[in-house]
Amino acid sequence: MDATPVISLRSIVKTFPGVVANRDINLDITHEIHAIVGENGAGKSTLMKILSGLTRPDSGEIWLRGKRVVLTGPGHALALGIGMVHQHFMLVGRFTVAENVILGVEPSRRGVLDIATARSRVLALCRQYGMELDPDARIQDLPVGLQQRVEILKVLYRGAEVLILDEPTAVLAPREVADLFSNLRALKESGKTIVFISHKLDEVLDIAGRISVLRRGQMIGTVKAEDATREEIARMMVGRPVLFSLDKPRVTPGAALLDIKELSVEGRLGNLACDRVSLSVRSGEIYGIAGVEGNGQTELVEAVTGIRKSKSGSTSIMGTHAEGLTPAAIRQLGLAHIPEDRHKRGLVLEMSVLENFLLGKQRRSNYVLQHAINTREARSQASRAVKDFDVRVASLDVAGGSLSGGNQQKLILSRELETGPKVIIAAQPMRGLDVAASEFVRSVLLKARQDGCAILLVSADLEELMALSDRIGVMFRGRLVAEIDRDEATVERVGQYMVGTTAEVAR
Amino acid sequence: MRHHRTLRLLALATPLIAVLFAGLIGSVVIAIAGKNPLAVYKTMVSFSLGRFDSIALILFRSTPLLISAVAVSIGFRANLFNIGVEGQYFLGSFFAAWVGFSLRGLPAIVHLPLAIAAAMLGGMVWALVPALLRVRRGVHEVITTIMMNSVAFSMVHWLIYVFLDVQQTTVPGMGSPRMRTPMLLETVRMPTLHSLLNPLLSPLGLEIPRHVYLNYFFPVAIALAFAVNYLIRRTPLGLEVRAVGHNPEAAETQGIDPNSVRLKAFMLSAAVAGLAGLSDLLSYYGYLDIDFPKGYGFTGIAVALLGKNSPAGMILSAFLMSFLRRGAEGAQVLEGIPMDTAVILEGVMILAIVVASSVFGRYALAWQKKEARAHADQ
Repeated sequence: MDATPVISLRSIVKTFPGVVANRDINLDITHEIHAIVGENGAGKSTLMKILSGLTRPDSGEIWLRGKRVVLTGPGHALALGIGMVHQHFMLVGRFTVAENVILGVEPSRRGVLDIATARSRVLALCRQYGMELDPDARIQDLPVGLQQRVEILKVLYRGAEVLILDEPTAVLAPREVADLFSNLRALKESGKTIVFISHKLDEVLDIAGRISVLRRGQMIGTVKAEDATREEIARMMVGRPVLFSLDKPRVTPGAALLDIKELSVEGRLGNLACDRVSLSVRSGEIYGIAGVEGNGQTELVEAVTGIRKSKSGSTSIMGTHAEGLTPAAIRQLGLAHIPEDRHKRGLVLEMSVLENFLLGKQRRSNYVLQHAINTREARSQASRAVKDFDVRVASLDVAGGSLSGGNQQKLILSRELETGPKVIIAAQPMRGLDVAASEFVRSVLLKARQDGCAILLVSADLEELMALSDRIGVMFRGRLVAEIDRDEATVERVGQYMVGTTAEVAR
Repeated sequence: MRHHRTLRLLALATPLIAVLFAGLIGSVVIAIAGKNPLAVYKTMVSFSLGRFDSIALILFRSTPLLISAVAVSIGFRANLFNIGVEGQYFLGSFFAAWVGFSLRGLPAIVHLPLAIAAAMLGGMVWALVPALLRVRRGVHEVITTIMMNSVAFSMVHWLIYVFLDVQQTTVPGMGSPRMRTPMLLETVRMPTLHSLLNPLLSPLGLEIPRHVYLNYFFPVAIALAFAVNYLIRRTPLGLEVRAVGHNPEAAETQGIDPNSVRLKAFMLSAAVAGLAGLSDLLSYYGYLDIDFPKGYGFTGIAVALLGKNSPAGMILSAFLMSFLRRGAEGAQVLEGIPMDTAVILEGVMILAIVVASSVFGRYALAWQKKEARAHADQ
């Protein structure tokens, strides 16, 4: 290993008004795959923005191969060989792979775009790093994993020696993750340095050489992956021991509360997004839906909750036919919905915590007094629920949008579960939450299960799903391709169904 | 919570900053016209506020602007841009006029409320097509309401012609035709505030003169601004309107039907819009003619923006707009500055308030986020 680190951060301080995002951070990154982990708000992204030139630190120094540099912008960082692969892809869907890669640094001959040179350079790069990609494929036709490969290629094309990947696995299926990791290992072998940001501990332990942990803007420490355990890193991140082996008591499932029969739903483009799905969830049971995003889960949830019209088939909630009813009527039957997109469907960010708590219950008789909202009653109910669900807010009058992601999700849970529903539809309830908040959401769902709720849990995170579910159904291209009891499910088996490699239908 | 007070002060300051900024730009315009801006502004102030009858006139003229602004603000809350207030008050005025000249023998206590109800109905009728097109077919209301405005002017003129008062078709002694409805009956006329206020004012040596028609629609408009605010802030429907305005998907997820809420908000906005012409119609003119005042709908948009949909804000903004117009009349007569200067001031003010509000809004949210984070860390 080289003696001088590739990158050395010394005493980096970055404050935003009222918040210290990075507090005196020292970090040496050698030629390796170096993971940076931490809870949301720990300062990972700020540190990476500083490293990629997007933000300038208040004080502190950045040393690149033994030389001090002052980064003036992302372009400058890239010129020095530091490239960032963003979590949200910045690709032009209608352009080909080659066109996207060269965009901004197009080779030209006498002012005319030289696409042939571009193609051959892109092909050469692919060969050099062992990445399979068709330079003429259109981005919009590629699966997410390959789109990400194009993003990596873009950075390599611009001569990056250090690649920063921001939560690269968030959007990938298990097999795509495996492909990404083998690509990253190949890149490392050919001399690149990789900084890998994540909060998925298993992945980090798998791919990284060393792992640095941030907590509340401070560097807690750096450990070698081979010596570290999941529990140890989680404790460093959260500051206390975290329970992974969930306390999941045996619950004997009761009657089926949610029954979905041959449900077909059209997607936004008129395609058959959800194709004759049948499943039933019993009281005291968590039914997990696994699948790569975009395989019909969203449409299934929207149809069951009444937001989207189904094409055919039926759903019934506690024995009452529910298809064709309005969302309000379906809620009346005892259904709670934790939507997959907190900002789009969960909360009205501009409205206060109190008003968000009331949303959907604003016409309940106990909240209405002489045609107006009974503010006193609403406040007392809201503050009780907020306390029960550990939503940390300064007051009920602050805007929902000002809360952290974890607190927003807890606010949604408090609104949905306070009424004692019998059927809970939870779509990606742990997405984007940090370790502590996910732990809380898990415990809330398990408690509801114990109380006899039927829970339909949709998640792209297989580990999460395996930990919580009693049965797992796998969706692929709109079909429920498998239904597996928890005891028989393994990541490998479910993962294969998720990418459609197994044609067998389990039922 | 010292920060909350600071935030509130800043929220109050943004429209003021916008007004000052507009004044600055206005100065440049006046200077280009070759006049001394300070002298012109001084004339505007002394001319409009120097005499009590002028102040009363400003209040009278602010009445339709305020009603129109309240109508626009209801739409804004639901994220609907009702540009059609213009056409809606034209129709509302016609409906009220019709009730006013055709229904005979009713006591005032029945006739006047009936005319007011007719005006609200007229506004709603005129908004029905754009509202239905919006909620059923997703046609944007800006386009449809603008078109409906154009139709409204011509249609009301045609309706006046249909109901033309034959006895008044020519100006006595002159040959030119006069396009107006028959005179409205006395039982439908809105009384002025003179008999109520003048006894109170006379000890102060003040009097609302007979030529200023400040009437009961003025307090009605102010009450309306507060009533609508109460409806929006405190009732279940108001919560639904705001939720749909900010985030229709989230509202829908919670079982609120966005389109039904939009339809209700649109109809409410139009019902209020229908009232905007009544202060002129039922108190001042007493008939509807081809020269009935236009433009309240558009100025109402400006008032609602400047007042940021709040009742106090819109009341003050209506006064301000009315003051500006009055002052511009003075500046035109006494300083030779064209009336258009006032229009420029209005325009710059609206631009400035839109920019200042969005800057402030971002700042306020960042501040709240910071506080929330500090709180969560405790």
